[in-house]
Amino acid sequence: MYKKNLAILLATVLLASCASKPPECVSPQTRNLDSAIGAAQTALINGCHAHFDRYYDDLLSIAEGDPGPENKRSFSEFLVWSSDKGLLSKRQAQDYYNRYFNVKFMSLKGDYNNCSQTCPNKRKVLLDMERELSDKERGLLRVSLDNEGYYRADQLYQEVELVLEATCTACAAGR
Amino acid sequence: MRNAPQRSRAIVSRPLSKRSLYIAGSALLVAACALILNAAAYANTPTIRLFPTTVVEDLKQTGNVARDMETGLQEVIGRLDQQQQLYNESKCDGADNDPGCQRLARQIGATYLDMLTIMEERLPDMEHTVNNTRNSLEKGLRNELGKKMTPWTLQETLIGTSASAAETRSAPTLRGRSGMRLSERFNQYYQLVATSGAKGDQSLAVLASDIYLDMEETSLLIQRTRQEIARATLMEQLNQSFGIITPEMIEVVGGVKSILFGNADDLPAVSGPPPGAIEQAYRSPLEQ
Repeated sequence: MYKKNLAILLATVLLASCASKPPECVSPQTRNLDSAIGAAQTALINGCHAHFDRYYDDLLSIAEGDPGPENKRSFSEFLVWSSDKGLLSKRQAQDYYNRYFNVKFMSLKGDYNNCSQTCPNKRKVLLDMERELSDKERGLLRVSLDNEGYYRADQLYQEVELVLEATCTACAAGR
Repeated sequence: MRNAPQRSRAIVSRPLSKRSLYIAGSALLVAACALILNAAAYANTPTIRLFPTTVVEDLKQTGNVARDMETGLQEVIGRLDQQQQLYNESKCDGADNDPGCQRLARQIGATYLDMLTIMEERLPDMEHTVNNTRNSLEKGLRNELGKKMTPWTLQETLIGTSASAAETRSAPTLRGRSGMRLSERFNQYYQLVATSGAKGDQSLAVLASDIYLDMEETSLLIQRTRQEIARATLMEQLNQSFGIITPEMIEVVGGVKSILFGNADDLPAVSGPPPGAIEQAYRSPLEQ
């Protein structure tokens, strides 16, 4: 009877320790992007989804080591997979992709007109764009070797800065 | 039998005419579809009205007024340069008590007053046309880009839905135009605006913003210059009695020269980025 109780107690303790043990969530160890994406997917699906940002950053660093236009597709497929598995919403997946791999600025999302929404927050909008531009430098230039895309994004940033300065001055003037 | 060839021609010609009709009908159908699609595409393209004809006319007028002012000032400034040179060559700097030098200084002062008078006469016209241009552009920018667009639609307008790399490279890059005659600058603006019909909305928005900010700055400068002219005229009238050249006078003349006639050394020499070598064919389903 005593032995049986001990066995049950031991089993309970073991089970409890297994249940509470958090997943290790180690970064991908390989330098190959496809293998790293595979490793990240395995980790994310096994309880590491809270570390999505870190895994995405790790994958970008690995891709910087072997840059090429085909990397865009790998990241896109990884994000679509993440969305399909419910790790990200569709909008989050779009934001992750476009922030790094598209010329357009996600910082310029907004439903209200420029005079009422953008102009009062012009400095913040431009600061957000500047940060996004540095992510685009990483995604477009260093990961995908898309020089033209990056330079277009840089030019777009400058154009938005100029046009917003003029538009906001005009909105404020009200002559 | 004599009629046989005619009949056979008639028999052959009947299916031919049907075929022709069929081809013509198809061509018409295709053309109509193309027209409808074109019209639909055109209707979907947002067109922004930033340059009404009044702006184009105002720019032309401002260019003319600026040219008149330059012509009037060119001769006076040339005279001033010669007098200044003579003053320096005669080693008058520091020889304030020398009667010859005093006479030269008075002559320079009188020419300086001429310059101020010409500016005083021309600046109101200039101010009027510059303000007109600024006000028209201001209204357009506020309504078309400020009130009718969200930041996202503004971005899409700037990026252009079908802007090719070549078009993007040829887009106007106007900031920093020092080193250009005022009238040439307005002439360039006029040419850009007058030929902007073929360009996309994206370059129009940039162009309008650029001109507007420049007009705003110019208007402010003219306003301040007009205020200063009155003070400078009075000061120079007082100086005339003493026959001295003030450093302010030399500075003002230098400033006027650089504004009106430009300074080639100030031209920006910034090269554009190298064009990308890699064609990007891949489009993600996540792309917006």
